[in-house]
Amino acid sequence: MVKIYTMESCPYCAKLKRYLKSKDVEFEEFDIEKDPAAREVCKKMTGIEWAVPVTTIDGENFVIDFDKPEIDKLLCL
Amino acid sequence: MKERIHKDVVIIGAGMAGLTAALYCGRMNLDTLVLENGIIGGQIANATDIENYPGFVSVKGGDLISTVQTQAENFGAVVDEFDEIEKVTLKSSPKIIETQEKIYEADVVIIASGMNRRKLPLPEEKKFAGRGVHYCELCDGAGYNGKIIAVMGGGNAAVDAANFLTKYAKKLYLIHRSEFRADEVSQKKLRANEKVTIMLQTEIKSLRGERRLEEVEVFDKKSGEKKILAVDGIFVNIGVEPNTQLFKDELKLSASGRIPAGEDCRTEIDGVFAAGDVREKEIRQLTTAASDGTTAALLAEKFLAKLRG
Repeated sequence: MVKIYTMESCPYCAKLKRYLKSKDVEFEEFDIEKDPAAREVCKKMTGIEWAVPVTTIDGENFVIDFDKPEIDKLLCL
Repeated sequence: MKERIHKDVVIIGAGMAGLTAALYCGRMNLDTLVLENGIIGGQIANATDIENYPGFVSVKGGDLISTVQTQAENFGAVVDEFDEIEKVTLKSSPKIIETQEKIYEADVVIIASGMNRRKLPLPEEKKFAGRGVHYCELCDGAGYNGKIIAVMGGGNAAVDAANFLTKYAKKLYLIHRSEFRADEVSQKKLRANEKVTIMLQTEIKSLRGERRLEEVEVFDKKSGEKKILAVDGIFVNIGVEPNTQLFKDELKLSASGRIPAGEDCRTEIDGVFAAGDVREKEIRQLTTAASDGTTAALLAEKFLAKLRG
């Protein structure tokens, strides 16, 4: 399952969600502003204190920001 | 092999100018596509309180633009925010817009590609990007709850960002190399906040820190003094530059990099219009962007009518 780390007010997070939906990709969303545990997981994975949006499948390989070519590569789209 | 698709009108950019043009083109039954490489809404997508757009006492940029997008789509315009433009050929007939996935042939092109935010012009920018240097206060501001924030810039976007970030910051510096250019109303709100220290005529000389930003070195041009400020995060709002890279081989650009076109939005190429902040003009407001979008769309329809006899 694809996991994305987001924030409600982030326009790039909204764009990422619209993109995944347009490609029929199911995803699990974690709002790092509201969910401190998810924030810690995201921080540990990326090494960055506060980064959104972040896309991952395995919790090791990830893409920060809405970087479509990299997201396509990560998710084999 | 990329699919070739014909469109009456291709609009490049989904900010206020582009989406207003799409609304009008759609309403005139023109087959209209809007391509957006970045964020729908452009510069106003992040605006928190717009108080100078007629019809609204106060409105969020995202909400306003989302309504205009809905209006455009209700009239049949299609907005594609995922397929990035790679190349445009405007002098041919039809005009060609090649994206990552498709090739569009368009009888009319309306360029409404707007402006991009300038990056912090310091060598440390790359080292601290995402680790203390930020450009989107709505995305990254909450990461600085109870911390010391600096905002760099003196225009409306900078002061609005600073006003927004005061809800997180325990202390906030507004640092700008010259005098304020922001609206008096926004300045007044910022000045009234006791967490805020305003440092005008002050340049940022360097950023320091081990793994992330810890300090900012500033230079006060009036006193000639250098100071070190403890800062956890800096949000950069030092202006914008026209998003015209795609067109530089097709159209002559002005000294500022914008597209020369009069109030009729017509460029030097028949059937190519420039609308909104990307057009060379004196006043660049949300209302004038909507006005440009309207003008470009109505004259595009006239151009198409003539083209088709």
